[in-house]
Amino acid sequence: MVAAFLAVASLLFGATGAAADTSASGSGNSAVEGKTFVIGTDTTFAPFEFRNADGELTGIDMDIVRAVAEDQGFKVEIRSLGFNAALQALTSNQVDGVIAGMSITDERKEVYDFSEPYFESGVQMAVAKGNDDIKGYEDLKGKTVTAKTGAEGETYAKSIAKKYDFKVKSLDQSASMYELVKSGNAVAVFDDYPVLAYGIAQNNGLKTVTDKVPGGSYGFAVNKGKNADLLAAFNDGLAKLKADGEYDKILDKYLGDPTAAQPTSFWELLESSLPALLKGLKNTMVVTGISFVVAMIIGLAAGFMKIARNIIVRGISTTFVNVFRGTPLLLWAFMFYFGIPQLTGLPINIWVAAVLTLSLNSGAYVAEIVRGGIQSVDPGQMEASRSLGLGYGKSMQKVVVPQAFKMMTPSLINQLIIMLKDSSLLLAIGFAELLYQGQQIYAANFRVTETLFIVGVIYFVAVMLLTKLANFADRRFNK
Amino acid sequence: MSASTTETARKLMIEVRGLRKSFGSNEVLQGIDAEVAEGEVVCVIGPSGSGKSTFLRCLNKLEDISGGTVVVDGFDLTDPKVDINDVRRHIGMVFQHFNLFPHMTVAENVMLAPVELKKASKAEGREKAMELLTRVGLAEKANARPAALSGGQKQRVAIARALAMNPGIMLFDEATSALDPEMVGEVLQVIRDLANSGMTLVLVTHEMGFAREVGDRVIFMADGVVCEEGTPEQLFNDPQQERTKEFLSKVL
Ligand SMILES: Nc1ncnc2c1ncn2[C@@H]1O[C@H](COP(=O)(O)OP(=O)(O)O)[C@@H](O)[C@H]1O
Ligand SMILES: [Mg+2]
Repeated sequence: MVAAFLAVASLLFGATGAAADTSASGSGNSAVEGKTFVIGTDTTFAPFEFRNADGELTGIDMDIVRAVAEDQGFKVEIRSLGFNAALQALTSNQVDGVIAGMSITDERKEVYDFSEPYFESGVQMAVAKGNDDIKGYEDLKGKTVTAKTGAEGETYAKSIAKKYDFKVKSLDQSASMYELVKSGNAVAVFDDYPVLAYGIAQNNGLKTVTDKVPGGSYGFAVNKGKNADLLAAFNDGLAKLKADGEYDKILDKYLGDPTAAQPTSFWELLESSLPALLKGLKNTMVVTGISFVVAMIIGLAAGFMKIARNIIVRGISTTFVNVFRGTPLLLWAFMFYFGIPQLTGLPINIWVAAVLTLSLNSGAYVAEIVRGGIQSVDPGQMEASRSLGLGYGKSMQKVVVPQAFKMMTPSLINQLIIMLKDSSLLLAIGFAELLYQGQQIYAANFRVTETLFIVGVIYFVAVMLLTKLANFADRRFNK
Repeated sequence: MSASTTETARKLMIEVRGLRKSFGSNEVLQGIDAEVAEGEVVCVIGPSGSGKSTFLRCLNKLEDISGGTVVVDGFDLTDPKVDINDVRRHIGMVFQHFNLFPHMTVAENVMLAPVELKKASKAEGREKAMELLTRVGLAEKANARPAALSGGQKQRVAIARALAMNPGIMLFDEATSALDPEMVGEVLQVIRDLANSGMTLVLVTHEMGFAREVGDRVIFMADGVVCEEGTPEQLFNDPQQERTKEFLSKVL
């Protein structure tokens, strides 16, 4: 009954937190106790969420949500998806809540229910350490600055862009924005002050030159009208953290006195990042392997359908091939992971979405390879086999397909390698493949170039080994 | 030749009535009537494009038949109830360009049909293949790939392959046309042996000397019809039709 009441109350009063005080005092909250909630977050928003040297997700948001969960007696499963991806996942009910250093805005309140604010933020501008030309907004005239897509920094930068006559180039991740500034492609970055402060303490090569603009407050969000219990529990837990001093401890840990990180050598970076990167490599390999098998099945079916006599069968296959060859892979990743669940109301496992994306895209190319391979076999081969009394299927199986496969093998190996590299696009939906893991690492330590270099070498070696293996198999089976 | 005297008493292996075949609007066969008796050797000659290959390919339904009837070894090919794969096992076919399966060894080419059609175990199939390869003089090439053979050798393997299902009829479509001249003899010798063994043969050929030698009957085709037919003596020495005379004057 209490649970039902809480749910209704939260539904009616939105994110007012009115229900928080009514829950039983002390640890535990009967409405959420023992449940597990999936919480979406950003990948790269230090000090709110980032991976520490051991590859564990840490930061202010993480500490708060975990402390609240412990206090209220529920469990959280954190999904680090990226800011936009996390919000889309929330809309499509892929996650129960989002905590991602997200400002509470009126637009967002239309689609999400917010908790009480848990952090008062503000925007600050930073430039490259060695840049002495930009001392204030006036110096931005005719220049380009960067800010995070959909974040408060972007809103603020755009609000003064006309007045000071500069352009805003929006990016998805703090680390990318800092790289843009360091590379000179943008002269300044507008970002949330705690993020900037933390990055500067990590030797990210920037410095702040203006004062903090007092800004919005960060809140924890659930989908509109959903998970009212969770929201109430969050408010309740947060109030307790603030009351018993735990909240201040968490903030101090990340913002109180950021100790400047000692720059470590490349080899230390390699050593500390390798475990996480190899985990990413494993996911890259597994998702590529599964997707390739599925793509082969789809491609073989569609390829044979393309040479069928029946015009409808042919039409189905041609349509499939044209649709998936004519649209970007990334679009389908978003479609499967965010779009379809919103249409059907059924959440989709990220592996399923990843395999569907890669295998349907590749399947279209494999279909063309199969069709081309079969059609390149001399029709006299089929005639000779049929004239011996073998049926169409047997003739295909014993005579045409083995020869077609021999011709198809180099193209198929090529397709496999393309797929392995294309799987990196899955980072956009938060799939923890190799490049994604690399992003996680440089998001926390800001050593973008070195990390990307290591990731690149790993991809290169993986592709070389795969090519060698495939060529060996080719020689072995296609004598 | 004794063919003409005993022909009527012998079983008909092939009976073609009013056969028509069109490719789109192009009618390539315009009503062909022909009969081939058991054990008979019939040579089909005629200018290029006259429809000889198409006629031959209608006899095992590699081409769909547009009109008329074709009865082979008692099977009516135009009857939809007849399983064409069954019929084809009774008819061996040899192509101008051999069409050997390049991904299989010579022996595997020969044993494919008996093994796949469950007429023989692998061991029996191989034994049978060796027997046939010995017959065409290529037993020592059993484990070679077709690519390693000369044209003449390839065609002899193709003949052995066509014989593997013990067909009652063999069809040859210009079996020697793609060969270098020095290899023609070895292939003709294999065909000659087949003719002498009493096998029913239909040979589309440009080798007029050979047609005269082994043929019981010669059919001259022109423009999609049978223009003239008769014994080799009649047709080559005393042609009745102008088209026949004109053709023979060019090739003899
Ligand atoms: N598959 C086909 N599609 C369309 N036309 C064909 C096809 N096969 C043969 N023809 C045409 O039929 C005619 C007879 O061909 P063919 O039987 O090969 O003659 P021949 O063997 O006597 O040289 C030619 O005009 C040829 O172009
Ligand atoms: Mg021909």
